[in-house]
Amino acid sequence: MKRAERPLKTLPVTLLTGFVIILLIQVLVAQFSLSRSELAYKPLSAPLAASTYRIVAMGSDDLMSYLLAIRLQLHDNQSGKHVRYEQINYRTLVDWLNQIVLLNVQSEYPTMLASRVYGQTTNDIKLRIMVDFIQTNFARNPQRHWRRMTEATILAKHKLGNLELALSLAEQLSSQPTEVIMPHWARDMQFILLGEMNEFEEGITIIAALLESGSIVDPDELRFLKGKVLDFQQNLLEFQQQ
Amino acid sequence: MVGQTISLFRYLLLGVVNRRLAVLVFILFIVATLLASYVSELAIINSQNISAALLGDFLRYSLVFLALLLVTSNVAEDYKSKQFERLLTMPLSRWQYIAAQFLVILAIATILSFPVVIIVSFFTSIEIAAYWAVALWLEIILVSLIGLLGILSLEKIPQAIFFSLAIYLLAKFSGVISQMLSESVKLSDGNASNRFAELVFDGVLHVMPGSQAFAQNNIFFELTLLPSELLLEQLLTVCVYAAFLISVCLIDFYRKEFNL
Repeated sequence: MKRAERPLKTLPVTLLTGFVIILLIQVLVAQFSLSRSELAYKPLSAPLAASTYRIVAMGSDDLMSYLLAIRLQLHDNQSGKHVRYEQINYRTLVDWLNQIVLLNVQSEYPTMLASRVYGQTTNDIKLRIMVDFIQTNFARNPQRHWRRMTEATILAKHKLGNLELALSLAEQLSSQPTEVIMPHWARDMQFILLGEMNEFEEGITIIAALLESGSIVDPDELRFLKGKVLDFQQNLLEFQQQ
Repeated sequence: MVGQTISLFRYLLLGVVNRRLAVLVFILFIVATLLASYVSELAIINSQNISAALLGDFLRYSLVFLALLLVTSNVAEDYKSKQFERLLTMPLSRWQYIAAQFLVILAIATILSFPVVIIVSFFTSIEIAAYWAVALWLEIILVSLIGLLGILSLEKIPQAIFFSLAIYLLAKFSGVISQMLSESVKLSDGNASNRFAELVFDGVLHVMPGSQAFAQNNIFFELTLLPSELLLEQLLTVCVYAAFLISVCLIDFYRKEFNL
């Protein structure tokens, strides 16, 4: 049976006034603390271990890995403002990315975030951390991460301006066995970079080896490689004359 | 006898299926779809798979909980209104009540999981959507039967819900707990108490449904997983465990004293 209630009017006025005042104070204090915390940049907290996330996922490990990646991706939007990547601690960021990879090794999302999102930083040290992360994951699973590796090569060349690093990354791409399926342009990056470094002889040697191996059957690719050899030979001649 | 059981099932089902349930399920589906669409907007790659998996899991947990509430409140109402005493004065056996409740569970599971195939198919292939709906149907049956056992034994809704969720979560975490216990034995160089804990948990696992008894969410991402194989394994596990639960329900119900 529902108990009958007395009307509000019968309550003591002091009690009602006191309640309204306390409610107002509570709202003001909450508003003040909320607005103060919203203004400050909230740094990225350290991630929990992948095993903890696995327990919480209750069997939905893959889904959990993607949700964590999206949560991480949303970190650079705080209070409706975009946070500069320079403000983010990239060591903690890599910890997050590594935990997400451990949770779902088949996911391409963490390496995609590293190349497309966090690779936009203007800080060379932070960018190098991202390139190293992509490189490590490519070494673990070249088939899944070759696309990110090509992006890392471009980042190393154009954003870091480090041609040696870019060449080393491109070399890792081109040295993959034929079982790793990737387009020809990904493997071609090595000799293109060698050409840019004026290492024409080495470039010609690589292309010649490719042509002799018989692994290239596509007529367009064959024509491109043969044209590149001619270009390199001409450039080499001009370079030697200078 | 079959006719009586069917009549009892229809009577019990009327107490569960009503307009409020339809509205609640409709709201759940709307919320799940909105949530999945929102996450799909946020994801840069794999957005379709992520939203489908999230939708699947959201529906799984909310519908399982809803089914649990429906089954436990239905039986609790029978206890409260002294329905058992009335039913037992009629020419009805106790097993017929359990059979009717099982049919109610089957009906609830069908009603709740049928729209899942339509909603999930908007986000993924029809094959995976169908798998998810059937796997969810089996999961709802399993958890509802645990709920039926809980409410028949404990007679109160909060205790029955707590008991059912505890079993459900323990079954879902069983793999991780086993791994943790075996690791603790290794790390403690075969400490007796750790070995005892492992032994006890191994024993408990023999009366728990394994992880294969539940819908596998990774199917939304891993193309190598075959829906038919997963369903076959789940069906076998659920059938065996459902039979075990029904037998325990029957034993418990036959042991109960009612003041006729």
